[in-house]
Amino acid sequence: MTDGATLEGWTPEIGKGVPLEEVIDKAFDYRGNVTVVKTDGSETVGYVFNRNRDVAVPFVQMFDADGAGPISIRYADIRTIRFTGRDTAAGNSYAAWLRAKELAKTTQHPEKGSDPAPSRGA
Amino acid sequence: MSVPLSQMWAIASYVIRQKLAGRERYPLVLMLEPLFRCNLACAGCGKIQYPAQILRKHLTVEQCLAAVDECDPPVVSIPGGEPLMYPEIGPLVKALVARKKYVYLCTNAILLKQKLEAGLFEPSNYFSFSVHLDGLRAEHDEAVCRDGVYVDAVEGIKEALRRGFRVTTNSTLFDGADALRMREFFDTMMDLGVEGMMISPGYSYSKAPDQEHFLRTQRAHDLFSTLLSNPKRRWKFNQSPLFLQFLMGKRDFECTPWGNPTYNVFGWQRPCYLMQEGYAASFKELLETTRWENYGRSSGNEKCRDCMVHCGYEPSAVHHTFASWRGFRDTVQATVTGRF
Repeated sequence: MTDGATLEGWTPEIGKGVPLEEVIDKAFDYRGNVTVVKTDGSETVGYVFNRNRDVAVPFVQMFDADGAGPISIRYADIRTIRFTGRDTAAGNSYAAWLRAKELAKTTQHPEKGSDPAPSRGA
Repeated sequence: MSVPLSQMWAIASYVIRQKLAGRERYPLVLMLEPLFRCNLACAGCGKIQYPAQILRKHLTVEQCLAAVDECDPPVVSIPGGEPLMYPEIGPLVKALVARKKYVYLCTNAILLKQKLEAGLFEPSNYFSFSVHLDGLRAEHDEAVCRDGVYVDAVEGIKEALRRGFRVTTNSTLFDGADALRMREFFDTMMDLGVEGMMISPGYSYSKAPDQEHFLRTQRAHDLFSTLLSNPKRRWKFNQSPLFLQFLMGKRDFECTPWGNPTYNVFGWQRPCYLMQEGYAASFKELLETTRWENYGRSSGNEKCRDCMVHCGYEPSAVHHTFASWRGFRDTVQATVTGRF
């Protein structure tokens, strides 16, 4: 994703033109943490890495914010999903890199190893 | 073609065994991603955009070996993330070599010299470093969005060769690549003494930072035709010559996504190394429950429309080699003559 729209901050209300399956698909595609709100009112914050609705009991799988898991949650137990974490695929690190390169050229002081794009997870 | 004879024979005999057993779908190369963490953030990469707790995770050696044992391919490729950042990379490679798997460790080589000096690896006919280099210095440093990486990688290659390791390179080409500069790059790699090179067009990851430079099919054919239509005899490619002909537009294959299955911290990735449409708990489940008919060019899936990446089409080329005498003859001919 470059400068395209991100779902970061989206708090969908299921049923008002937004089916649960669609929100789950978007959460699965989202590269950030989400908050899964269950029908019993409890919440789990984490990363949704899998979903399967081609089985008798459709489910999502996630790792929580501490990395524990995988945690399986049935579709039927989900009230909604809020897109609460930072979208790690949003922004434009490539454009930032190009801008920095141009700046370095114009100032004539290129720095070896200058890297406007943050290393991931290092 | 620079693949050692012993490796060629291992793969050929494996494929023939699968065919004699009547297996329609079988793996050739397991893409084993022990972690997503990386010390680069390349413009064309969509593999590493995850929250911190996911980037901190990695597979255990036991998980890796269980996946290899279940899948049981002749070749294991270890990409990532950056596998040299995986704390158990030494023991993992050692265990895979002990299983007589041909191992390709795909690395940006920033840490290569340091890890070699630490004595993490031993040279083996079963083990090769596959160093990511997308071109000469200017092109590569731009592709990986950091100055100085090319120089570090070349230093790592030299050190690995000096210590007797097998070293190959892997290069991803994007729209705007300069064919003449890439030909210079091939010369430079041969001068360095690498065993062989692997080339492939990039896949248009929806999560990659740069969305503007992925190659579309016709432009890919044009680029690879210019690159390879008059190859120098000294250039060695560590991949099927039929796949190279496919890149040039001389052949048409259908995708074989199960040929290079992917296992990582989420499980067995559906349907392939590039697309994430879900995960299976076992390789068996992956094979049996993935709707393969929904993928590949003939499926009409737009995510597959312009894909020509090696992980889907190199297994197709290998399959074609052993599917008929003509395929075998064409492969031998291209291998012997060095013409594509």
